[in-house]
Order: sequence, then C-alpha cells, then structure tokens
Amino acid sequence: MEQIWITGAGIISSIGIGKEETCRSLLEERSGIGQLKYLKTEHHEFPVGEVKLTDDEMCQRLNIDKSVPMTRTALMGMLALQEAIADAGLKKDDLKNVGIVSGTTVGGMDKSELYYLDFLENDTRNEYIRTHDCGACTEMIADHFGRFAFATTISTACSSAANAIVLGADMIRNGDAECVIVGGSECITKFHLNGFNSLMILDKEHCRPFDATRAGLNLGEGAAFIVLESESHARRRNCKAKAVLAGYANACDAFHQTASSPDGEGAFRSMTAALQMAGIDHTKIDYINAHGTGTPNNDASESSAIRRIWGDVVPRMSSTKSFTGHTTSASGSIETVICLLAIQNGFIPANLNFSTEDAQCIRPVEKTIRNVKLNNVLCNSFGFGGNDTSIVISSPESDFKFAFAGNDVQLPYIYSASQISVQSALTDEWFDSPVAIDEPYRRSVDPDFKTYIPPLEARRMGKILKRAIVTSMSALENSGCEKVDAIVTGTGLGCIENTEFFLDALSRDGEQLLKPTYFMQSTHNTISSLVGIKMKCNGYNITYAHKELSFDSALYDAWLQLRLGMIDSALVGGHDEMTPSYFKLLEKAGYLGQQSELAGETAVSFVIGSKPKDKHLCRFGGIRMMYCPDKEEISRQLHELLDSANIPMDDVSGVLTSMNGNAGHDAYISKLCGNLFSDIPLLRYKHLFGESYTASGLGLYVAATCLSKGRIPDSLYVDANACKSLKPKALLMLNTTDEKCCSLMLVTI
Amino acid sequence: MEELILKLKQEIIEALNLEDVKPEDIDENASLFGDGLGLDSIDALELIVLMEKNYGIKLSDPNQGKEIFKSVAVMADYISKNRTK
Repeated sequence: MEQIWITGAGIISSIGIGKEETCRSLLEERSGIGQLKYLKTEHHEFPVGEVKLTDDEMCQRLNIDKSVPMTRTALMGMLALQEAIADAGLKKDDLKNVGIVSGTTVGGMDKSELYYLDFLENDTRNEYIRTHDCGACTEMIADHFGRFAFATTISTACSSAANAIVLGADMIRNGDAECVIVGGSECITKFHLNGFNSLMILDKEHCRPFDATRAGLNLGEGAAFIVLESESHARRRNCKAKAVLAGYANACDAFHQTASSPDGEGAFRSMTAALQMAGIDHTKIDYINAHGTGTPNNDASESSAIRRIWGDVVPRMSSTKSFTGHTTSASGSIETVICLLAIQNGFIPANLNFSTEDAQCIRPVEKTIRNVKLNNVLCNSFGFGGNDTSIVISSPESDFKFAFAGNDVQLPYIYSASQISVQSALTDEWFDSPVAIDEPYRRSVDPDFKTYIPPLEARRMGKILKRAIVTSMSALENSGCEKVDAIVTGTGLGCIENTEFFLDALSRDGEQLLKPTYFMQSTHNTISSLVGIKMKCNGYNITYAHKELSFDSALYDAWLQLRLGMIDSALVGGHDEMTPSYFKLLEKAGYLGQQSELAGETAVSFVIGSKPKDKHLCRFGGIRMMYCPDKEEISRQLHELLDSANIPMDDVSGVLTSMNGNAGHDAYISKLCGNLFSDIPLLRYKHLFGESYTASGLGLYVAATCLSKGRIPDSLYVDANACKSLKPKALLMLNTTDEKCCSLMLVTI
Repeated sequence: MEELILKLKQEIIEALNLEDVKPEDIDENASLFGDGLGLDSIDALELIVLMEKNYGIKLSDPNQGKEIFKSVAVMADYISKNRTK
C-alpha cells in the first residue's frame, strides 16, 4: 500500500505568518491572544487571536490591487496556500493536475456583515455579494495561483479543515487524484463573535483549556494548507515526505446540535477509527493535539473519550488553542501544521494558562517539552453538530501501516429519492403534468410538516431543515435500508433564512440581545447534523458548500466512500432555500432574474448503496468534477467516465443539461454539447424546478425518475422535434453554470 | 402576578416558537425543562435573551438559569423582584 505524504505546508494565525514564526512562538510559549484590534465590534471585553495584519497589508504582500473585492478569509487563505505551494516545490504549471479542498464556514461574511444594508438598499457594494459564499472563497484563494484541476469546499463548522484533509486523502487513497492541497481558512467576524457570545461560550479572560476554572473559548483566526500526495507522485518529483498522513476518520456524535455527549461517543469513534487506519496501537501515540476549546462541555467530553481509549495512561496532551484562540473552520489544518512542526522540530507545545486540575479532565502539558522524538501524533477537530474528526500524523520513520480493506464496488444503486420543490412535495406529479412557472421566483410546495415532525421538535427549524428531515426520512423509508452508514449533504448557502435574521438584527439593532437559535442554525452543516441526530447515525457526516457543485461534491464523496469500502450505504442530500431578499441580492449580483431564469428551492434526498436490493430506481455510473475545464478536458473526462462505467456512448439516451433560461448560458451549453454529443437529444429541468445552488440534485432526481419509469417526458426535451428515446438505458448530466464549476454525471438502468 | 404569568407564557411561546402551544397548556408550576415542557439548553439561552430584552434582567452565567427557569411561576417571581423595566 502506498503512503500519503505531506510534502508542503503553509500557516498563518495570531502566533505567526508562516511556519518559522509559528514554530518560534510555540517554542517560546508566546500566545497570540490579546485585545481586539482589527475587527470593528462593540465587544472589546473578549480577548481574541487576530492575525496581525490588516486586509490592505495582506493585499500588499500578495500583490493584489486594493480595488479588487477581497475578503479576509480569502486573503489569509492565499498567504497560507502560497507558503504551502512553495514549500512543496510545486510550479504554477503543476497545479493543473492538483486539486484543492478548502474548509470554511464564515466565507465572505466579514464583508457581508459590513455591507448588508447596502446590499439591500443601494448598489454601492454589489461586487461583494458574489464573495459571500464559502465556495467563492475557495475559488478566490485558488485562482490567485493558477488553474487547479478541481476545487471544492467543505463546511462542517469547526471541523471543516480537518475534513478537507480527509477528503483529499481519500481521493489519493482511491487513485482519483495524486496530489491534493487541503486545508481551510477563517477570519473573525462580528457575526460569529456575537453568535458564540449568544451561546455564552466566550471567556472574558484568556482561555484555559482543561483547567477546572475554564469558562469558554477565545476566538482566533487564520488559515493553513498542506500538500498531500501519493508517495509515488512525490518520488517522481524527487520530493521528500515532511510527515506522513497515517490515519484519519470522521464520525458523528449524533447527540445535540451544539453540545458534545458526556461520554464523547463521536470523538471516541473518530479517534478509534483513525488509529485503526494507521494500523497502530493507541500506546504508540506520543502526543495528542486536543480540540480543547476551553468550554466546560467540550473539554470534559473530549477527556472522557480519550480516557475510554487510553484509560489512565494518557499520552502527553495539549490544546494549542491557548496560543491561537479557536480558529474555528481553519483549526483542523492549523493544528495539523502545528503537529507537523512538533514532529519536525521534536517538541510538544504547551497548554498555556493551566493552573487547576479538574477531575473531569485530563491534565495537559503545561510547559513546552523540547528534545522529544515524536513518531505518531493525533490531532482532534470537532465541530457543531457533533462533527468529530481525528487525524494521525506520523514521522516518515514511524512504523505505522495503513490498514484498510477496499472492496470492488461495481456501479452503486440509487435505491430511492425524495424531493420537495416548486413542482411538488414528495410526489412525481410533475412527470406527466408539470406546473408551468411564470414568475421569477417561487418557493417550494411544502407538505404539512406537522404530520411529519412534532411541533416541539420543529421549534428551531426553518423550512430548509424541515424539508431536509422530511425528504431524508422518506428516502430512507423507501430505500429498503433500515439505516445508512453515512450522511453527505450539499448546500450552497445553508439556512439562509436564519442567517438573514441574525445579520439583519446585527445590522439594524446592534450587537446585543441576538438570538442564539438563528446563529446556531446558520452553520451549513446544521442540516446534516440534524438528520444525523434524527437517524441516530454515528457514521461519516460531511457537508459541502461549493456553489453549483455543492450537491455534486456530496454525491462524489458518497461514491468515493462506497468505492473505498468504508460504507455500504449513504444518504445524499441537496438543500437550498430562497428568501425574498436573497433573491433580490442574487438578481443584483447578476446571478438570477436575468431574462427567463427562474429561481427555485431544492430539497432532495437519495439513499445510495453498493448492495443489490429488491428494488432500485437506477444505478449510478459515476461523476467527474472539473474546475474551469476547456472542452478538450470535458471530452476527456466524458470518455473516461463512460469507459469506467463500461457504458458505450450509444446507450446514452439523453443529456440532461443545466440550461436555465439565460440565453448566453444556454447558448454556451448548446455549443459545448454540439461538440461533445452530436446526435444525443438535449434535455433540461431547471425550467420546471428553478435554479438554486443545489439544483443539480433535482437534476439527478429527474434523471433517476426517467430511468425508473422507462421514459422521458416531452416537457424535458430542449428541442421539441428531437428524436425521442422510447426506453432510456442511460442518461448523462452536464452541470456547468458559470463555466468554472463543471461536472458530468452518469446514471443507467 | 397572574397577569405577569400569563404575559410570560405568551412571551415564552413566541420566543421559543412553540407552535400549537397555548398559554393555558403550560402549567406554571410544572418544570420547563426535561419532563415538563421538554425544553433544552438552547431554549435556556433564548430565555436569558427574553429576560434582558423584556425585563432588563441580565444573567451573565447560563448556570443561573437552572434555578430561575425551573417553572413559569418561579421565573415570574424572580422577574417581579429583579426587573428594571
């Protein structure tokens, strides 16, 4: 088995710009936490770990003109990525074969919170509407350096960057990629400073992880990226391993949206599985970089989970959040780089500010320990919704061994699908009698939620969450599975209604008396976590937020997990909601409302799996994701996709395109398809279902319904006179909206 | 006090979005958390916001809520003794 090497790393946080300064701060026990200086907020009572640069200073370092719309998260990400690329010796031209996976939750919120009222009331800041979402942030970071082979974004709150590492590693392990740069970036915003304040988990003193007197966390900010490559790829480039990614795992606590379970079930599972993958006994871990936020709940729960594995003989442990503050979505990669520095330089970082032992907690390392040999290090990152990820990083000399059994999955099955859309709720009436949509935006036809979710349970759920619960439970019920092994969700924007409520109150009423519920629901992975809690699913639980590829990324990951043999079944969802003011913003940004485009909402859930069952809708032939591809690249990927699924082009009865009514866009797709598939009829679905970031999920539902019913309704044909297929065997889906994100999907009978 | 109790019930229903619950459904002496109304720690935080917004009572430690939010009656009693608006 080939190893996954870490061949480069870059980091920026309150304790340093770059690895050298970071390492020095750690060795000298110099914390970056102090009085607030860069963020404009009323809350000066909270110490924070800010990156000691203004946005303009970062632009200067990156040679970016100040007039270009930039967000702080993107700028910090660029500084970290720049160092990682140089450290690994990658050239600009190499990037076309390299993927990028970034984690963030805040995205461009620093600018959105500043200009929110301008967005609504005038046209002075429209250029920042497009920089708001998480996927845009990743693309800004990536585009500064060249053209990457693919790009996607994970948003699982505070474990986002750790899960980006997991995805990149899985892609390499499965042979889907040879080199992937992974990590995350997050700046401090008023939005989440106030959000954490509303949850009453911020400490007014310097945070004291694992201390009996701990009273909460200090927010931090920063970014870190690491270059992961297969051993053979690195050897071909004559590149040495700085460390080896020996094991990793994600699990879901499935307990509560914001609190960890008392026995740390999710953390226990993620640590156990990561150790198992690395093929080492728990006693071989020399150091644990704990999640250790400093909140009473996290540190006690994490300590319980660690004691369940190590008993009373716990490895040396510290939380470096006492240096950096909690860098939220970026913490997973920031702390992985800290672990890398610890291995390379032979030291164990201190857990600062510790004074009083707590019987509920493990006693951490209080002073830097120098001159130690670290063979294997474990790094924990946990997020809201009990999203727990553990990573084992080993020195190249360690005797770990990758231990996993892949299985030979043929084409997986799509057992079931369930949707709520502008056409219908949970039914396929649209198939024979579609509703014509004649207004620019329409909200979904909702079922009577009370018959599905008891009101008390629904009290904090916006529509997007109710739809996600209902479609997920309905897909599970129709799948023939009792449970699923994984839950993977795509959402471009998450619960934007709640996000808007919070932002609106923040902008109009100021930074006091904000409702914790709105903040808590604003994280993108709320959907996946709630479904996980509802289904009591402790398995893999990941959320993607990458523009038009949000759903596609989720589906790709579920397919990847099936092919790796990590799971037998997965619930894959695509969820986005629309609010009247958000529709207005999209229109201003030039996304929607142009010509005959129609904006809609998406709630769609599938259960897919590797084992045959009594019935299924269709089989899944695979997906290819690309970033800014030219037509030669799309053609190459198309043929690879068909070949790998062993389906000849002649079997393809139609190409379901992402045509959305925008004349320019539809002409581009039409021309592209003319080159790729000369005589296969083109189909569309967005004229019936509307456009949203996860509309491609409804596209897959449309394609699966056609195959299961054995016909394609006339309403889907782009050209009414096209030669119609009587019994479709296979359908292709082409999803490209802004000519940057692009995917090809294949389904067959 | 009865007036305050009724007002408080209405405010709780609104702040916590308890659809289908009417003030008369809430027993003012029953527990708000656990077996009673079935509220949890996030609801407690919402109640802290409610207390400050409507009655000018600021709680800085979420643990204080455990005693004060025992029942609507206890809450009303605390409010009547500590309100600043």
